[in-house]
Amino acid sequence: MTTPRSPGQPGGGPGGLADRQAALVEALTAGRSVPEGFDGFRFEAARVALLRKRAGEVSRQWPMLAAGLGDRWKREFAQWAAARPTQGSLRDGWDFARDLVSRGALPTMAALELAEREASFHYDGQSPPKPRRAPALRAIAGAVVLHAGRSTWIMRRP
Amino acid sequence: MNDTWGIPGPTFLIYYITAMVLVAVLAWFHRKALFRGIRFARVDQLGPQQIAYLNGGPKLAVYSAMGGLRAADAIGTGPGRTLVQTGPLPSGVTPLDSAIYNAAARGLRARDVFTDQSVVSAVEQLSDHLEQSGVAIGAAKLREARAWALAGIALVLIGVARIIDGVANGKPVGFLIPLVFFAVILTIALYTRKRWATDAARRHMRSLRDQNRHLSPSQSPSFATYGATGAAMGVALWGSSSLYTMDPAFAAEAEVQRIAATGGATGSVGGGGSDGGSGSSCSGSSSCGGGGGCGGGGGCGG
Amino acid sequence: MADQPAGGHAPAGPATAAGPATAAAAGAASAKGAGAEYGVGIGWRPEIAGFVTELPGLRFAEVVAESVHAHGELPSGLEALLARGVTVIPHGVRLSLGGAEPVPGDRIEHFAAVAERLAAPLVSEHIAFVRAGGIEAGHLLPLPRTREAVDAVTANVRRVQRSLSVPIALEPIAALFDWPDDELTEAQFITEILDRTGALLLLDVANVYANARNRGTDPEELLDQLPLDRVAYSHVAGGAEHQGLYHDTHTDAVPQPVLDLVAALCARHRPPALMLERDGDYPPAADLRIELDAIAKASGYPAVT
Repeated sequence: MTTPRSPGQPGGGPGGLADRQAALVEALTAGRSVPEGFDGFRFEAARVALLRKRAGEVSRQWPMLAAGLGDRWKREFAQWAAARPTQGSLRDGWDFARDLVSRGALPTMAALELAEREASFHYDGQSPPKPRRAPALRAIAGAVVLHAGRSTWIMRRP
Repeated sequence: MNDTWGIPGPTFLIYYITAMVLVAVLAWFHRKALFRGIRFARVDQLGPQQIAYLNGGPKLAVYSAMGGLRAADAIGTGPGRTLVQTGPLPSGVTPLDSAIYNAAARGLRARDVFTDQSVVSAVEQLSDHLEQSGVAIGAAKLREARAWALAGIALVLIGVARIIDGVANGKPVGFLIPLVFFAVILTIALYTRKRWATDAARRHMRSLRDQNRHLSPSQSPSFATYGATGAAMGVALWGSSSLYTMDPAFAAEAEVQRIAATGGATGSVGGGGSDGGSGSSCSGSSSCGGGGGCGGGGGCGG
Repeated sequence: MADQPAGGHAPAGPATAAGPATAAAAGAASAKGAGAEYGVGIGWRPEIAGFVTELPGLRFAEVVAESVHAHGELPSGLEALLARGVTVIPHGVRLSLGGAEPVPGDRIEHFAAVAERLAAPLVSEHIAFVRAGGIEAGHLLPLPRTREAVDAVTANVRRVQRSLSVPIALEPIAALFDWPDDELTEAQFITEILDRTGALLLLDVANVYANARNRGTDPEELLDQLPLDRVAYSHVAGGAEHQGLYHDTHTDAVPQPVLDLVAALCARHRPPALMLERDGDYPPAADLRIELDAIAKASGYPAVT
């Protein structure tokens, strides 16, 4: 537990508020066990509600990905996200989409959306995506996209 | 010394450049006159489909109608990427709405809707009316404007002939090659610059777009709130990518092409589209980063 | 909204130090300026910007502070509202005032800059934490109702107040679970924080309802125990029940019991402003108008639609 603390900020001691809050967040977002003394049922309800909310936010950033999975969207995203704390909905959706590609499970409907972003942004999976300066060509699941300057061209639809 | 065609190289280059500039300038002035339109023509009383036509031609007009019909839950997609009826036709619809709705009853493939006879004639009816009002450029005027491409072709042919003869004659053609390349570009520009709105209409369009900024895909507008007219207007003013914002599955199933609402019909998504926009708008400060505020699924505390 | 006499109730508790004292003074000073009531408002969201702009009687709205650029262009719909003289309140959701860690300086700076930008008479944030140990929860999480947590919130609120030139209103959240070691009741916890910081109260009626329902307590009892004269404004939102628990979703319609609670609040002490908070699954415009009118009716304020 390495949390930045400033002198005079309460809750700094071991077993203090800082540690307990960190344990709570980890249990909610990183799949750790429920901290002692909490109502398990209610805690689980909050965890599920949080994942549902996250899925909703990601679907706004990645509409084709969500639409492509249809009824399975919330369940599949929640399953993937359960032990992964959020990095913001843009990156969450991106990481999830890449994970689907690696499993060969990316819906055709979502291929273009991902290819366009892969072509226009540089994203290393670790830090926020940055717009590409150099031209780039990306092919994902049958969709081919060319990016140059400020424009993106669809060369092939899946 | 025998110059190719009896004209010295530098002299020919000057003639050639002059001719090219002349074609470009004359075509521009002619175009200006042809596309002026009626100065006081109003666009603020036009319906979404008419505005869509002015912004993106027949296809965008059809997409605008499809957006309205979809938002009203009158049409959807069926197996094999066809259109199907999903509800009753709302009241106060246009002939184009009816034509698309009827086509949906026949299970037409979504991509074939543009060539459906009744849809085509509904669009023609719409464009004729706009032409008479001085807001749309008629087919005749567009043909006239595009005729300048013939002058461009002539330039290209002369240039190519000179290159061939020059090479045969053992003369340098290094300067002429890029010039001919420019002539090709000019010709393409003169031919393909398709547009539908007159200059008068375009000026008004700008303010109309300002008034309807809330319908831009960058705002991820709630078309459930804005209703069928809002959906149709969103497509009309901001292009068919609005359909992807409104109903991604429908747009994908119907193979909606992305047509920008500024004239050109291409697959380009550069510029103002919603793509990556929300990602790139992060300033790196506290306004972006992990985790959202409230909203979505459930249990928000705020 | 800054017009509630904060002085009337201000530092009654063990409030000390210069921070909260000056903040309370500032609150009281601007409070004396106008006695205006703002009536019914709405949370401005880009998705429904066109709807909000069209509300003829609107006098105030709230915007998520983190969605506004501190120096860049304002969202166009917001610009139009400000030009019309509509008061826009920045509502922070990511400061994590209840975090044991100090709120980062850049977040405070952004929050204060947005308040200046909108010329807002006050700002608001939550009594909650949203991150800990470097992990974002993506959610407003409840605090244990302990002295330690009161200290943490107080320290952070004071830190934020030092950068603000307007009062801050604090909003207690809806929580699906409680910490196992609460020392204070909800009312004691809230009042203690308000007293020590001199902050105003942003009372979310739907949160009061949700918490009472999920804990099996009487929401009106809480209303009786809170310093209602310090309510700067109120949130009203919808929710839904899943597996016996009421979720404050902001994506469902406002249920009748919440409207009844609005009426019960206004019968005790009517806040100068109440607003509809909707964050997704936006319904047709007509339905939003019905909800706004229902809030107007329950509170006795004129309809804004």
